[in-house]
Amino acid sequence: MAVFFQNVIAGLETGSLYALAALGLVLIFRTSDVINFAQGEMAMFSSFIAYQLWKPLGLPYPVVFIGAILFAILFGFLVERIFIRPASKASLVSKMIITLGLIMIINGSASALFGIDSYFFRKALTADNIDVRGVIIQPNALFIITITIAIMAVLFYLIRKTMMGISIRATAQNETTAKLMGIPVSRVYSMSWIIATVLGAIAGILIAPTTNISTTMMTEVHLKSFIAAVLGGFGSFIGPVVGGLIIGVLDNLVGMYISLTWKTVIVYGLLIVTLVIKPTGLFGKVHRKKV
Amino acid sequence: MKKSKINNKKLLAFIAILLVAILPLIFNFKRGTMTMLNTVIIYAIIAIGFNILLGYAGQISLGHAAFMGIGAYVSAFVSNHLTLPLGLHFIVAILLSGLVPLVVGLLLGLVALRLEGHYLAIATLGFGVAIQQVFKEWIGFTNGYSGMRADPIEIFNISFRSREMYFVLSVLVLVLLSIFAYNLLRSKTGRALVAMRDSEHAAQAMGISLFKYKLVAFAVSAFYAGVAGSLYMHLIRFTMPDQWGVMLSLNLLAMVVIGGLASIEGGIVGAAFIIIIPEIIKGIPVIGEIRSLPYIFTGVSMILVIMFFPYGLAKIGAQIKQLIRNKNRAPKNNEV
Repeated sequence: MAVFFQNVIAGLETGSLYALAALGLVLIFRTSDVINFAQGEMAMFSSFIAYQLWKPLGLPYPVVFIGAILFAILFGFLVERIFIRPASKASLVSKMIITLGLIMIINGSASALFGIDSYFFRKALTADNIDVRGVIIQPNALFIITITIAIMAVLFYLIRKTMMGISIRATAQNETTAKLMGIPVSRVYSMSWIIATVLGAIAGILIAPTTNISTTMMTEVHLKSFIAAVLGGFGSFIGPVVGGLIIGVLDNLVGMYISLTWKTVIVYGLLIVTLVIKPTGLFGKVHRKKV
Repeated sequence: MKKSKINNKKLLAFIAILLVAILPLIFNFKRGTMTMLNTVIIYAIIAIGFNILLGYAGQISLGHAAFMGIGAYVSAFVSNHLTLPLGLHFIVAILLSGLVPLVVGLLLGLVALRLEGHYLAIATLGFGVAIQQVFKEWIGFTNGYSGMRADPIEIFNISFRSREMYFVLSVLVLVLLSIFAYNLLRSKTGRALVAMRDSEHAAQAMGISLFKYKLVAFAVSAFYAGVAGSLYMHLIRFTMPDQWGVMLSLNLLAMVVIGGLASIEGGIVGAAFIIIIPEIIKGIPVIGEIRSLPYIFTGVSMILVIMFFPYGLAKIGAQIKQLIRNKNRAPKNNEV
């Protein structure tokens, strides 16, 4: 039983990172109708900035964390302004292709600037492990789960209760009507890209101790965050969070009880099965397309 | 009168192709250049197939590298384990390496029936990653990370070991598959695919079976990818699972987008662009040192093309002509 709980906790730890990244994806998708395939690469770039602040500059961890978030804010703003906004009238496939092109640009720039090696990055908390009846809990894992819950709470408060949240939801529902109601839609786009990039960056910095910092560090998290968003449903904000946690736990349990080598194949198979059986996800509403 | 004109055009095209095919036999290119030209032709084959799916049928796939990989492994496996007289096993290998992805493509097409746009992109992305994982783990078939070798092709005692002869072979395959694509797209199937792309509901109302044509689009493009994979395998004669990942799928997408969606020559132009330009960049003194520069360049050009030249490089001349004509016409409208 201890092994089971051990796996569940490890699953919740990675799952909450998937949830953060997935929430970023869904936020952008809901407001600007773009699936940001470059989300993972953007997070990877922000993590490299964090590393540059930490090791070569020797800044303390909290400063590094805040520095990387400030960078992510600027990064998200610039990407939206330069690449996405000029193409706001383009078709869905074109927008998708633009974010796919961004993968190439960001990944290529990262390996040109920072090299293709992988670097060690410290954990947020380095205290001793806690032993609860044979289940070993890392303080860092608890920290990750707590910080994720805190971020979610703040974000949901913002989305539900504040003026900014209302304008985000209005834009998500109907852009034209939102514009007519006097909502600065382009500012909402900027805002959602900034928030999503920051969420990605946080996920990147927190996963870095396990994956090390390299140009491929986010591939796994990024793909899993897609599965999380699909499983939970792109139509709701709570869906991807639940989806992320499910994927995280499931990933660990499949690896433990079924097969470690075929884990990836099984989880991606699950993605395709979910898409076929219930394309709207667990929390999504059925969306009827008008002719 | 009209008929002879068409015949003339066909004859001219035939002569042009013949010239291209024997060009390397006349000029003495370096081996590296020959490998590059061969790769261009191979990628042109897969780009044409991918264009049928993306450009004509409007279905996106981010897992097409997997089909090429399946083709490569099947071809290597068959030609390593089967021996027929006169080198017929190579022909069997190439055909099988097209047919196996075709069947897998049918399965993916079944999935695609229920999905569109974003969801299809995500599902195919997941498919690509899963298949790449299978390449890594199914050691009995792919030899895993140790990599797999294949023999040079030799059919009817003609050896295609030299890059020049191989070029003739791959141009031949490219021409055959181009003609097939051209005829397919001008037939009822092609029109059905375009109708499906423009509006699934309208197409269905006109009696077009989405079930049939989505499957056809996926199967045909998977077949092209598999054949291209087979040709690639026997050209380079070595492969590893890492090759058949998301990066290749993105490059394939870039080829089709940059070359031109919904045009056969677009695939060829795009493949040439994506393969040759990086080689040129590598040759430039200072910036050529940055190894990831071609990748960045591909991304930038893909975005620029999709933003400013949505018909791709293949139709850029026509687009500029149209622009100039519109500009000349504009003042007249104002006078009225």
